[in-house]
Amino acid sequence: MAARPRKKVEVDPITLSVVRGILETTQREMTLSLEKTARSSVFNLAHDYSTALFNHRPEMILQGQDIPIHLGSLIPAMKVVAKYFEGDIHEGDLIIHNDPAWGGSHAIDTCFYKPVFWKGRLKYWTVCKGHLTDVGGPVPAGYNPNAKEIYAECLRIPPVKVWDRGQPRKDVLNLLLTNMRARRDQEGDFNALIGACQVGERALLAMLEKYGEEQVDACIEMLLDMAEKQMRSLIAGVPDGTYEGAAILEDAGHGFGDFEIKAKVTIKGDSCHIAISSPPQIPYFINSYEGNSHSGVYLGLMMFAQLPPPYNEGLYRCVTVDFGPKGTICNAAEPAPHMNCTTTPMETLTDAVRLAFEKAVPSKVSASWGHANGLNIAGWDKRHDEEYVTMVLATIISGAGATPSQDGWHACGPECCFGALTSGDVELLEYSYPIIIHRYSLMTDSGGAGRFRGGSGTAWEVEPLNDDMTFITFGEGRRIPAVGAAGAASTLVDTKVGRLELVEGKVSETIRENVIRVIKPGDRITNMNPGGGGYGNPMDRAVEKVTWDVKNGLVSIEGAREDYGVVITDPATLSVDMKATEALRAKRRAQAAK
Amino acid sequence: MKSDYRLGIDAGGTFTDFVLADKSGQVRLFKALSTPQDPTLAIRNGLALISEELGVSAEEVVSNCDLCINGTTVGLNALIQLKGAKTGLICTAGHEDSLEIRLGHKEDGYRYDPEYPPATMLVPRYLRRGVRERVLSDGTIREPLTEADVRAACETFKAEGVDTVAISFVWSVLRPEHERRAAEIVREMMPGVILTVGSELYPQVREYTRTSTAVVNAYLAPIMKRYVDAVDAYFRALGAKQPVRYYQSNGGLAIGQAMTDRSVYAINSGPASAPAAGQYVCEPFGKKDVITVDMGGTSFDITLTKDGSTNINKNIDFLRYRIGVPMIQVETLGAGGGSIGWIDEMGLMQMGPQSAGSDPGPACYGQGGKLPTVSDANLVLGYLNPDGLVGGRLPLDAAKAREAIQTHLAQPLKMSVERAAYGMFTIVNANMVNGIRRVTVERGYDPRDFVLVGAGGATAAHITALADAMGIDTIVLPKLASGLCAFGQIISDVKYNYMATAPLRLDNDAAYSRIDQLFAEIEAQGTGHLKSDGFKGKDIVVKRSLDMRYVGQVHECTVEIGTFKVDARSIGKIKDAFHKRHKELYTYAEPNSTVEVVNIESTLYGVVDKPARMTIGKGAAPAKALKGYRDAVFSADGKRVKTPIYDGTPLGAGATIKGPAVIEEITTTIVIEPGWTARLDASGSYLITRDKKGAK
Repeated sequence: MAARPRKKVEVDPITLSVVRGILETTQREMTLSLEKTARSSVFNLAHDYSTALFNHRPEMILQGQDIPIHLGSLIPAMKVVAKYFEGDIHEGDLIIHNDPAWGGSHAIDTCFYKPVFWKGRLKYWTVCKGHLTDVGGPVPAGYNPNAKEIYAECLRIPPVKVWDRGQPRKDVLNLLLTNMRARRDQEGDFNALIGACQVGERALLAMLEKYGEEQVDACIEMLLDMAEKQMRSLIAGVPDGTYEGAAILEDAGHGFGDFEIKAKVTIKGDSCHIAISSPPQIPYFINSYEGNSHSGVYLGLMMFAQLPPPYNEGLYRCVTVDFGPKGTICNAAEPAPHMNCTTTPMETLTDAVRLAFEKAVPSKVSASWGHANGLNIAGWDKRHDEEYVTMVLATIISGAGATPSQDGWHACGPECCFGALTSGDVELLEYSYPIIIHRYSLMTDSGGAGRFRGGSGTAWEVEPLNDDMTFITFGEGRRIPAVGAAGAASTLVDTKVGRLELVEGKVSETIRENVIRVIKPGDRITNMNPGGGGYGNPMDRAVEKVTWDVKNGLVSIEGAREDYGVVITDPATLSVDMKATEALRAKRRAQAAK
Repeated sequence: MKSDYRLGIDAGGTFTDFVLADKSGQVRLFKALSTPQDPTLAIRNGLALISEELGVSAEEVVSNCDLCINGTTVGLNALIQLKGAKTGLICTAGHEDSLEIRLGHKEDGYRYDPEYPPATMLVPRYLRRGVRERVLSDGTIREPLTEADVRAACETFKAEGVDTVAISFVWSVLRPEHERRAAEIVREMMPGVILTVGSELYPQVREYTRTSTAVVNAYLAPIMKRYVDAVDAYFRALGAKQPVRYYQSNGGLAIGQAMTDRSVYAINSGPASAPAAGQYVCEPFGKKDVITVDMGGTSFDITLTKDGSTNINKNIDFLRYRIGVPMIQVETLGAGGGSIGWIDEMGLMQMGPQSAGSDPGPACYGQGGKLPTVSDANLVLGYLNPDGLVGGRLPLDAAKAREAIQTHLAQPLKMSVERAAYGMFTIVNANMVNGIRRVTVERGYDPRDFVLVGAGGATAAHITALADAMGIDTIVLPKLASGLCAFGQIISDVKYNYMATAPLRLDNDAAYSRIDQLFAEIEAQGTGHLKSDGFKGKDIVVKRSLDMRYVGQVHECTVEIGTFKVDARSIGKIKDAFHKRHKELYTYAEPNSTVEVVNIESTLYGVVDKPARMTIGKGAAPAKALKGYRDAVFSADGKRVKTPIYDGTPLGAGATIKGPAVIEEITTTIVIEPGWTARLDASGSYLITRDKKGAK
């Protein structure tokens, strides 16, 4: 894989624009193909996948803006995989990999790497990664809150060739699939991922054919350089200095207490160094290996940079990251269990980075989004006499954070997905799984209070149709609401955080921990997902905006008074006592100033 | 005089096009300014132009038409400007927010944009009223309808002044009686209100899509009704023989009542006739695989026809609202004659999607536009006539065009004005090519197998360059290009879509007979509608399709099937068609996996007689039509080449012109690049083909 000597090639600026368009279109075609063919609702509905193109080095030359959980996480993984097979990469090979100790994010995200050859030489890699519904292990869907080690989570796959020079290694594929639940779906998803890699390959080869290798190479180098320049000029606009952000990672049921994750952002000229510190790893599934922590940091950076697509590795050339000592929560080492890491602790890590940037450039920051607090479900589908298992994406859709110019979007999160997720249609879910969805709705008083209100979270209420159903809860955000920005704070907190309500027969309970439980037909659970953080002082929110929210049931009369200092005297007409409102707001402002 | 004419009226953003075809095959094109404030005004103005030209009254024209056909943007404009009627929604309790949750998604391209606003709700939350009722996924009733909840919703709607109501319940597609009963109650309590029922309008699986479709329909229905009533009355007063037929986004005609009941079918009707028109103009050349591209002032629309049939979109976001009903698949880009060239944050030249529109317009229009547009580039490159367009009625200012390109592009990029102009031309073409890829390559078609048809005023200057980039060898460019969509409407048939839902695995006889039965039911319904509109016998044509997938997949793939009986014998044919389509699209098939059907659909056509074809007589030889020469640019180095300019009007059938050349028609300018040759066909189109060797 020796790099050929690079000669100076004149880049035609017009061809450059055209090549950029083709790379984007190629990635789009891969994504579309994956979405249309996949079985796993986690990636065809939730878009919990990533597709990327790498050059031979391998450097990421294009990543779509699929889900931010994967933002940049393919970069370290690709390098590890290419290094492992160095000198042994051939036309027609195809490599699979999921393990976090080998650069992966979390092991349920399974990735295929296809080397693309041109005239006998390795030219590109097309890479597709997707969240399967199951990759084996003791607990369906991979999230095992009882795991003390990674070995108790799922099947670990280091880089392995599943095709060798065009020949599928059926024995290897069979070994992998034999270890997975709902094999039919996993096998279908392998096909979908591989198909998407081939779709990408087809388009890249057509580009080389049309524009010639020399021009295309030169264009791609230039696109990397231009992305670097763009990020450098953005960072150069931030005053030099060191800025610190810290966020609390709440105890999600492990009993080790709350932790603090810190980010120290040092800006020097046009480069940026981000240093993370987190406590030692724990025997619980919320440790994050380096590949996943990359995404957490990059998302915090993007919440500040707000760059439009397309993205390539050049963006990150001026950014260095120190994830802290090995063996910590944000830089985990074997045998740390990790499955929940893409939401927890990632979202808290992202918050810490975002808060550091908020200090650096206060005018250019959005409030935090609601964190994921979700459900996996599994059981036996008597209708077809087959097993089912899935993450329920609808249950992690939270409210978006407010921004300096508008209220947060309702039902758009969680933070780690940033609007890329979709919940799936109620009818499609009821058709695919033996469940009745009684409710999927926004939630009163769930958006963080602020001059601009955080978006509403969602409530998802379900009942198993005709047999027992196992449910597993994951995530957090059940005690600490999404962090506001620019002085936003809520008085009513309990309505803004995540939680799960369980009604078994006549007994009901509220669950705020990660558990594995089994319920029967007739029982119901309602998973509630947090709202987004607000922006600015809620006492400055226009009274008409508050009453409009009340009219629409997004804020209660109590919420209007408690969160916004707006005193509504008549619930029917929503008329406001302006004098009492002014007085209450003045009092609240004074309290906040103290 | 009896039925001498057929009239097509197509409202566009700037112009309303009028196409009048007569028995002899003559087709006349007229243009009147569109009048969005009062859409019927443009119709009156256009008819005045026609009656002036023909020297007869509007009554005489209209009463001598066998059919008057109207493509309207009334619904589209109401949706763009959010000026629909005040709408209430009655839905299953617990699911009031599916419309606002929008499946939890933020549109791609805006992921980190803090200012991109949420979509405006067509029904605010307080007018979305849940009622207690529930049907399950197998069609059983879990909870009966609580009628008092429906009555309470109506009370709220009356108090709030709601004009139009949508009803949409979970799984109503399997068991519509709750929706029907709710509809009865609404009709009883709110007698004047326009009502949309989800399971009637769009009987397909996917609650969010169905509810959203019903809401958009309800939102537009009162506006469509007002418009349709006015146009119908106007034409009736002029003595029209037949009710006016309206053009739908499914590519077919409908009577006014259908437009009111199913107004959501009207929203993107403008470009929907392009495939029919493209098909028609290619027929004399025996071509059935056609890509029609339409470049106007601000947008570029692409449609595709394969083997004579057109791709249909279902379940897509249109103007940010989810719409289920079938619409001709139109890929629209912000690329038109007015698209502005600019330099992005990375220092790269970009074209559009911002457009100078018609006000201030391109710099060369001399109406105050300062920014460089595609039209400016085309003028600098020598493609457009500096004496002006539309036979000199719109003069162009070359100096202003040069200045705009120099200031905003050539200077910052340190290149000559010619090179920059050619760059603009190339980049806008590349954008259009990427768009064409989306409807071809992304859907498993090789563009090289297609003929490219040019429509719209601005396309002809780019057509050979586009074909070149896509590897297409054959272009058909009708003289009528700028009014081709209006023409497409007058040669279209009446078309209605009937749907049913049937989530069934294809592994048992009961499933096959259920599918067969559903086809029979919806087709009986459709035939009934067409018969009452005067169609009979072989004038009624049925086409079927099934949405299928492998068990476990979430998205379906639509496959057309024949009208044979669905049973254990024929099911193999159906499955094979699905495997084949899956492989074309996604590079693989799973022949051993179980296939399931989700939705079924029959399209019913009422076939309308077509007007006689246009014919071109002998006319002048090219040498006689040569107007002079311009120095035009056809390469990235900006080099100018002496290029002959022809007047298209006098040219006779068989006239052959080799590129480089420019042919000026009254409403369009055709650029024939080096390596291409145009021949005017007797059917009124130029057939432009790539020369055998050394194209460019």
